[in-house]
Amino acid sequence: MPCLNVNGVEIELDEDGFMIDPDLWNEDVARAFAASEGINELNEDHWKVINYLREYFKQYHIAPMVRKLCKETGCSLKYIYDLFPSGPAKGACKLAGLPKPTGCV
Amino acid sequence: MPEYKGMVQPLRATPDEMRKIFAEPVPDEQKPEKALEYLDEIRKKFRSFVVAMESCVKCGQCAENCHTYLGTRDPNNIPANRAELIRKIYRRYFTLEGRWFGKLVGAEDISLDVIESWYSYFYQCSQCRRCAHVCPFGIDTCEVTFIGRQLLHWLGITPKLHAAVGGAMEKVGNHTGLPKPGIIDTLEFMSEEIMDEFGVEVEFPVDKPDSDIIYIPSSADFLLNPYTLMGAGMFFTYIGANWCIPSTVTEAGNFGLLFDQYYTQRGNVNRLLNAAHELNAKKIVWGECGHGWRAAKMYVPSMADRPVRWPLTHVHDEAAELIRKGELKLNPENNPYPTTLHDPCNYVRACGLNDNMRTIIKAVTVDFREMTPKGEDNFCCGGGSGILFDDPEMYQRRIQLSQKKADQVRATGIGKDGHGILCAPCSICKAQLYPMVEEHDLGVEVKGLVDLLGKALVWK
Repeated sequence: MPCLNVNGVEIELDEDGFMIDPDLWNEDVARAFAASEGINELNEDHWKVINYLREYFKQYHIAPMVRKLCKETGCSLKYIYDLFPSGPAKGACKLAGLPKPTGCV
Repeated sequence: MPEYKGMVQPLRATPDEMRKIFAEPVPDEQKPEKALEYLDEIRKKFRSFVVAMESCVKCGQCAENCHTYLGTRDPNNIPANRAELIRKIYRRYFTLEGRWFGKLVGAEDISLDVIESWYSYFYQCSQCRRCAHVCPFGIDTCEVTFIGRQLLHWLGITPKLHAAVGGAMEKVGNHTGLPKPGIIDTLEFMSEEIMDEFGVEVEFPVDKPDSDIIYIPSSADFLLNPYTLMGAGMFFTYIGANWCIPSTVTEAGNFGLLFDQYYTQRGNVNRLLNAAHELNAKKIVWGECGHGWRAAKMYVPSMADRPVRWPLTHVHDEAAELIRKGELKLNPENNPYPTTLHDPCNYVRACGLNDNMRTIIKAVTVDFREMTPKGEDNFCCGGGSGILFDDPEMYQRRIQLSQKKADQVRATGIGKDGHGILCAPCSICKAQLYPMVEEHDLGVEVKGLVDLLGKALVWK
């Protein structure tokens, strides 16, 4: 099983590179994911998206509708792709420590 | 494991993920023997399978009619050859000539390599049945893929995506893992969006007892397809329906059809009937999902564990009927861009939705242009049967599988100026085409048909 080492803690990932145990998430984990996704630095907007996803997931145990994510963060879908080149599901959700979305998505 | 001896393969579910969907993986050393046992069992039950095994003369008609072969040019992706991956085993063990003459008559011993080739090629076939449509003998090669995938599942080989979908269905009643509070939050958001954009009040009732209609949406609509959900809500409100969405089955899809018709598909059918019973519904109306509508329309009656007392219709059937009667006031100007229709395979080659889709699309758009070929001759999007794998090797394969569709869209001229609409009213088609229209640089936006219907409704 692949792992991500953050500050000496081994974080287990699934084959798609998503966290197995979302409780191990912290901001440094997001930064480590960012590096692996080719994002140089996490700016204010990155954090806005990541924090919104985390809050939503904490409450509903699922990622929000992409349209809602855009509306609530004020980021257009195109801008989200600029921020997270792998997109809202495979990029932003991964950095926020959410599990990989499944189904016809 | 993206490749096995040069063959691409989707990521596979772990033994734990298999156990969650009630399958016990068979150890590798026992797989060949078990595969034969299961094959023997299944050939005795399914005449359609035996017809495919016994009747093919390799005329080659299917080759150029298969988008998978056209996109990959891999000879094993010719439907007749794909079926041969099982046929050579069938011949070796279950025919006289195969038992006596072996390789001389194209028979082969079962081995792990053969089983791994099934995993690679039966998950590149999208079960679209275009080959069946053109076969002069009427052989339905999709039935062979069904059985290949069923055997693999019983051996413990199922893609991670399909197993995850099966597990989520067991847990919450939909493929994306949406729990009830998330469903309600999204539906409330949809009501707000409808009010903002269309200025009408639309509620999405959930679990309302004694509803005349229970509407079964695709759960992907809750994450990716807002206008499909909004369109359905607006349609039911417009016609004044007493309707609701059952929170225990917020899923029009049934991946059981695609990898496990024994346990998974049957379980989903009975889950649906329980929901209809508990809510005392009068009718079940299906949302936009191709394979799921085939699984519902064509399989519910035979898989149900009780008499089915609910009429089952598709939302397109409902809308088309009202359009023909002149009971919907529609303004096609609300969908002003050139629009073409991708026919979901299961709608047109299995469920007869061909005319109804066209009745709707012609009434709700100003510039509708057919692609060629169309209707029951149309090609698959390349993602059919849920082969929406996104590990890098399989994703590259998906781009190849959608090549034919890209050529068809381009030939319509739609999207040249970046303002075309590619209507693809099925969640698998949408999930495949959202990234593929970008990969092929088609300049079109992908929409459902209910999306366009909702926009065209003229409110009093």
